Amino acid sequence: MGRYIARRCLQAVLTLFLVVFALHLLTTLAIQLNGNPALAFFGDRVPSASQLAAVEARYGLDDPCFDQPGNPCLGPFVDRVSAYLHGDFGTNLRGRDVTDIVATAAPNTLRLFCIVTITWLVLGMTLGSVAARWRGRAVDHGIRLTSVLIDAFPVFVLLVVYRYVFSVPLSDWAEDRFGRGSLPAMWFRPSFDSDHPWATLLVPGILLGLAGSAAFIRLVRASQLESYSGEHVRTARAKGLPERHVITHHVVRNSSVPVVTAVGLTFADALGGAVITEGLMNIYGMGGVLWEAVRASDVSLVVGVVTILAIVTVVVMIVVDIAYAALDPRIRYD
Amino acid sequence: MTDAAAGAVADAVSEAASPASRTLTADAWRTLRRRPDTIVAAAILAFFLVVVAFPGLFTSADPQHCLITESKLRPQGFGAAHPFGTDAFGCDMLAQLAYGARPSLLLALVVVGVSLLIGVVLGLLAGYYLGWIDALISRSIEVFLVIPLLLAALLLLSLFRNVSVGSGTFNVILLPATVLTMFGWMGYARYIRASVLEAKNLDYVTAAKVLGASDLRVMFRHVLPNAISPVTALVPTSIAGIIGAEAVLAFLGIGVRPPAISWGIMISNGAEWVTGGYPHLLLFPLGCLIATVLSLVVLGDALRDALDPRLR
Repeated sequence: MGRYIARRCLQAVLTLFLVVFALHLLTTLAIQLNGNPALAFFGDRVPSASQLAAVEARYGLDDPCFDQPGNPCLGPFVDRVSAYLHGDFGTNLRGRDVTDIVATAAPNTLRLFCIVTITWLVLGMTLGSVAARWRGRAVDHGIRLTSVLIDAFPVFVLLVVYRYVFSVPLSDWAEDRFGRGSLPAMWFRPSFDSDHPWATLLVPGILLGLAGSAAFIRLVRASQLESYSGEHVRTARAKGLPERHVITHHVVRNSSVPVVTAVGLTFADALGGAVITEGLMNIYGMGGVLWEAVRASDVSLVVGVVTILAIVTVVVMIVVDIAYAALDPRIRYD
Repeated sequence: MTDAAAGAVADAVSEAASPASRTLTADAWRTLRRRPDTIVAAAILAFFLVVVAFPGLFTSADPQHCLITESKLRPQGFGAAHPFGTDAFGCDMLAQLAYGARPSLLLALVVVGVSLLIGVVLGLLAGYYLGWIDALISRSIEVFLVIPLLLAALLLLSLFRNVSVGSGTFNVILLPATVLTMFGWMGYARYIRASVLEAKNLDYVTAAKVLGASDLRVMFRHVLPNAISPVTALVPTSIAGIIGAEAVLAFLGIGVRPPAISWGIMISNGAEWVTGGYPHLLLFPLGCLIATVLSLVVLGDALRDALDPRLR
């Protein structure tokens, strides 16, 4: 087990290095084709040559290789990796450290992910178990139809409809009914409020979780059906255990391993969803920061945030692999 | 005898005549034809494909001809000058919907087509030859998987935002299509690689090799037909995913770019007018998008069932 973890971590470091290199190559190519991103700093104003040179030096764009299309710019790459190793992910156009921005924004993203994960697990476990228990009956078909419908509404569509169609009438209604500043009025606020993070994150989180829950429902159903036909379940039934006991102890518990690891594996997808959710609902989280950075063409902030998110994804993938190996004794790695 | 009865008899006859020669594909096709939901979904998709190919059939208005004096007209019904009303700039909604279908759907088809091609070729090579080719391909799959599709698209499209590519039908979707393809092929490659690993040790493949078939022939004639079916079921769902992604990118102004029109751009323009009392500006493009995505998802679901022999 120890050797497996060590090997997996080494692999992950190599992957990360390649990811950073790929991002570097793409950024470099974009600068070479696209012209100088330092100009974005000045907006509509025309800078003097010395102002431009100062800004270029500040963002590490003064290397001549950025003017030669096709040059991989290995010198700036070495600088960039060593800066990353020192925890320096650059600054945004206003000079604020990317790490600082991410540190203040990350808690809200974590809160959102908590709500999303709970929604996934609750919906997936309940509906999936019910569908597996009454396989082939009307309720199974109904749940299947539901999951197809959920798939058909991308998170973007759900959020646009909620934000622009339902949110304002709902929050007006809640304010009339329960009073201004009451909890239900908070739930339906169309935008994020940093004083009440949990209350204003609740509905967006549930919608994001709902959008991703179809895969969970199918997964839980499939893995429980496998358990139902397993020999240990037949044995449990044969020795006369009540059906309720068989289900809770032998079916649900046995089939939860793939579900736990699936939470980790869908993390990368959920990151994309979080960007959409936070962007549309004005939530100050990592995704929201990225969304605003894209809108404002703040390229160095976009590169910094994406790099950090890539690192987080790699770490989560390692944790998932290790959890899988630890939870399922049938899997041996050596 | 009615047509239906004649068809049934013909079916029964052909079934009786060739009981053993039904392939998986033929079987899947038969299952699909019998499900009403699949037929409805296919009809909706066919309708939108016609719209993509010949938008002029559905409207005589020019989507780029906008009169600000006629802005935000409500839907007037068919027969009037603007059946679906006009948007905030006075452009005809129906014309915009019809011409906006093309970039949205074309982008999705191109992205999924090209990434499927890349995925199949790389997955086949990796699974068939193993060794250093596999190491190289698997490693690149892992690297590309670390950056989620949407994040990569945001990063690259905002990096290349100022590159001008022209305004032809393919030019407007060139940048988003390239980026989404670059980060969209890994799933197919992984699936194909896994099923090639399974299929290449089957007896009939070994037999073909022993008989002296070339690598290429074994790969495309014997291994691939067996390996491709799980991926086929993914295709409609992926097309739906890309249509959704286009809408997100349009919202950020980095997808298909104005003055070209796409459903995504219409949704992002129409969203702010809902509370102002003009919900049709959002609901028409959103309705088209949902209808397309829903049909694709239903089709994907049916395909998954039809192609998975374990569920029979």
